[in-house]
Amino acid sequence: MTLAAEVDVVVIGGGATGAGVLRDLSMRGLRATLVERGDFASGTSGRYHGLLHSGARYVESDPVSARHCMEENAVLRRIAPGTIEPTGGYFVATPDDPDDYLERFAAACAAAGIEAEPIPLEALFRAEPLLNREIRAAYRVPDAALEPWELVDATLASAREHGAEAHRYRPVVGFERGADGAITAVHTRDARTGETGTIACRAVISAAGAWAGQVAELAGARLKMSPGKGSMLILNRRLTSSVVNRLAPPGDGDILVPVHTVCILGTTDITIDDPDDARVTPDEVDALLADGERLVPGLSGARILRAYSGSRPLYDAAEIEEAAHHEESREISRAHHVIDHRARDGVGGLWSIVGGKLTTYRLMARDVVDAVAAALGNEAPCRTGDEVLPAPAGSSPYWLGDRLAAVEAEGGGDADLVCECELVTRRRLAAALDERADSSLDDLRRTTRLGMGPCQGAFCIPRAAAMLDERRADGRLDPAAPDPNPALRSFAAERFRGTRPIAWGDQLTELWLGAGIMRGTMAADALPDAVVRNDAAG
Amino acid sequence: MPFPMRSFETMPRADVVVIGAGLAGLACAAELAESGARVFLAAKGMATTHWTHGGLDVAAPAGSLTPRVGVRVLAAEAGHPYARVHAEVDGAVEAHRARLGRVGHLLVGSLDSPHTPIPTALGSLRPASILPSAQAAAAAPWADDGLLLIGFAGFRDAWPAYAARNLGAVEWPGGPRRISHAEVVLPGLERLKNLNARSLAVLFDDGAWRAEALGAIRRAVPPGAWRIGLPAVLGIADHARAHADVEEATGHRAFEIPSLPPSVPGVRLFDALRRTILDSGGRVQVGFDVVDVERNGQRIVAVHTEAAARTLRLAADAFVLATGGIGGTGIRGNPDGSLHERVFGLPVEAPPRAAWFSDDPLTPHPLESVGIRVDAELHPLDPAGQVAYENVRVIGSALAGMHYLEQRCGDGVALASAHRAARSLATERLAA
Repeated sequence: MTLAAEVDVVVIGGGATGAGVLRDLSMRGLRATLVERGDFASGTSGRYHGLLHSGARYVESDPVSARHCMEENAVLRRIAPGTIEPTGGYFVATPDDPDDYLERFAAACAAAGIEAEPIPLEALFRAEPLLNREIRAAYRVPDAALEPWELVDATLASAREHGAEAHRYRPVVGFERGADGAITAVHTRDARTGETGTIACRAVISAAGAWAGQVAELAGARLKMSPGKGSMLILNRRLTSSVVNRLAPPGDGDILVPVHTVCILGTTDITIDDPDDARVTPDEVDALLADGERLVPGLSGARILRAYSGSRPLYDAAEIEEAAHHEESREISRAHHVIDHRARDGVGGLWSIVGGKLTTYRLMARDVVDAVAAALGNEAPCRTGDEVLPAPAGSSPYWLGDRLAAVEAEGGGDADLVCECELVTRRRLAAALDERADSSLDDLRRTTRLGMGPCQGAFCIPRAAAMLDERRADGRLDPAAPDPNPALRSFAAERFRGTRPIAWGDQLTELWLGAGIMRGTMAADALPDAVVRNDAAG
Repeated sequence: MPFPMRSFETMPRADVVVIGAGLAGLACAAELAESGARVFLAAKGMATTHWTHGGLDVAAPAGSLTPRVGVRVLAAEAGHPYARVHAEVDGAVEAHRARLGRVGHLLVGSLDSPHTPIPTALGSLRPASILPSAQAAAAAPWADDGLLLIGFAGFRDAWPAYAARNLGAVEWPGGPRRISHAEVVLPGLERLKNLNARSLAVLFDDGAWRAEALGAIRRAVPPGAWRIGLPAVLGIADHARAHADVEEATGHRAFEIPSLPPSVPGVRLFDALRRTILDSGGRVQVGFDVVDVERNGQRIVAVHTEAAARTLRLAADAFVLATGGIGGTGIRGNPDGSLHERVFGLPVEAPPRAAWFSDDPLTPHPLESVGIRVDAELHPLDPAGQVAYENVRVIGSALAGMHYLEQRCGDGVALASAHRAARSLATERLAA
């Protein structure tokens, strides 16, 4: 895809926030291009627990954030219903949770206007029979499950409808600055072909989240981020049908979110230096399971498919105070913050948006675009809360039953499945490749859930690699797309990274069987580095 | 030890109960049955035969030219199962070959056949020396014949175009000069997509359907001299005939390429060995999970297995543990980083959980070599190095000390340890 030569605003970062910023800019009539160093939603947005916050989680510790969540929860239900499964949520008090929190929670919810309805325990256990029978109290709140990849996709699709561009695998490699120090252009590189390109612009919005410090540094500005690693576990089925939170101040292993066919237990919080440090340690796994046991006894005996972590875009507290000295606004929200680097670092034309929650991505976008639009003399109002996003391509959110019905309709009872665990058909993969001909196997996973089931790719990886190869031979793949063999290797490595922290019991056996296939029967370790481009056939 | 008060049926007492129906358990039960012992083989489920390529990997550590050399190299590794049973390999392989030959399942190649690169379904090469006849042509020297890879429309587990391109890119000393590929539409399968290897193989057993399919395959072969690689689906019960028919119909040599499970070559191997056991008067029961063990000091008295709706008590003089390693679920990993052996609770040493794996999934992992430590007669040892149960033998992938994927030695260790265990038990029986 060719890069625009000149736009009003360049957006850096293709997570939910960047996508939201791009959409907001384009809806206000500003010309904008987004560049993302990896795949869209492959950073923090794609590595989160899948919870659409009601706000109740933060009602006590961070009322501003709670209010944002509450308001945006309602907005997203209106504009992105296809990406939300309205599971509802419970806050439950286990015997280990403090009594006083229970009282404070109810009062705080009432004060904040968050619906928190006390639920009789009998009704709770009827609805969620696996929950700990020693739970003492429960409240029903409007939590929900939110599909991040679909949300980002739909947001980008809307931005494109309004004339914006978005490019993935396009890291920023430098900035051009004018005589006054203000940014006049952004240099990018195609991560796959190495080609460089320059986009002239009037402003840059860094929505790089946990990586915003690195972007600021590249531009000659300062921004100290303090990324928080949050690790989560994926259990192989839905242990509950609603979100379940512990009635305690936010901590490890305090939330269980049913997502599609699985459920996610989250979340640790460990301050890290490098936002790319995504290793999940055995200690984190043990801590999550021990705490998860308090919600669902026996939970640690359930089959765990993967462990993964994301980097929260937290910023250094001292940064906020410093920013406050330079700005009009006295209301410093810990939830998210807009930083104008002209005032602070003498780098004009650069704004960073940091902090925040996926739930509040639209609000974050609005706030930073308000600032940038004003600076550019654009007075159009924000309309992102009014217009409904395009519906996602697949049936989402889905249960396997939904997908099974679609698969049966497609194949007359015998559709061509590439991934049996997640019921991904050849046609679905082909459509995803038609749409984005530069996809790697991992990109296809985010679009289709390929390889996300119990076997973690042992069966579908070679099938999908062969499919990539076939399309490449036919000239239907983008030349920038990775070769099928490195794609196969890196996908196997990526799946393995998430399995090894929780590899015991059945999942360990599954890993062994997968290794037997890939190394024993297939000798995938002996594949050539790249497939020959020209068909050897005579 | 006390065991739960519940009703169970007691089976007629056996001389030996073999637990596990992989290559090791099957071969051991067959040999014991042939020697006149009353053998009962009980297995939790289908074993890893159904997952693997069906060839006979004896030993192919890096740098070894033949399996015989490979065995010698591995036998020199302290703690490797071959250090205990290398002397059995010759006899075990020949007994296995003869046993399979009696039921029409032929093996080609010997311990002195050089490791020859043969194509995998992905189009990489793996070393092989001893192969079932249906796969053997892959290892024959290449002359003027080109390699033609054939796939079947709608069969998702063969990728002839991808494999052909990879084989064109890979270093293949002595390989074919031409590589081509073709896709064949098999009769009546136009609308069937979710075919697995086994369901296709069942079709190939049907003579009338096969004749029609062979016509379609023949038409897909371009003029010239070819050797044809096909998915490993050419029949189960009638596989020898199906393979011969393909060669006759096309006028070219043909070989099967195993792919994703279920493994048809593995199914054939299982069926063949099972038959030899039954033919010699042994019993084979799959779906019999061991749920309880009766012990008396250092002896196992009986095991209780649970099948559909009843518990069976299997008493015997001796027990052979052939339940496999982690892949076969004979050994289970625990969240705390410990490992346990599932049936008798034998001790398994494990590295700490953080050290179980290397970073690249396609390389050997420290955890792969875990297993049960044994003495020269394959008795399991306790942590102090003493025999844990004097009437138990441990064979196959449950044994500690090997990297069977890297060393490609799992089948050879299975046969050699099975042979040692069977001979040792037969000697004891004669003495008794």
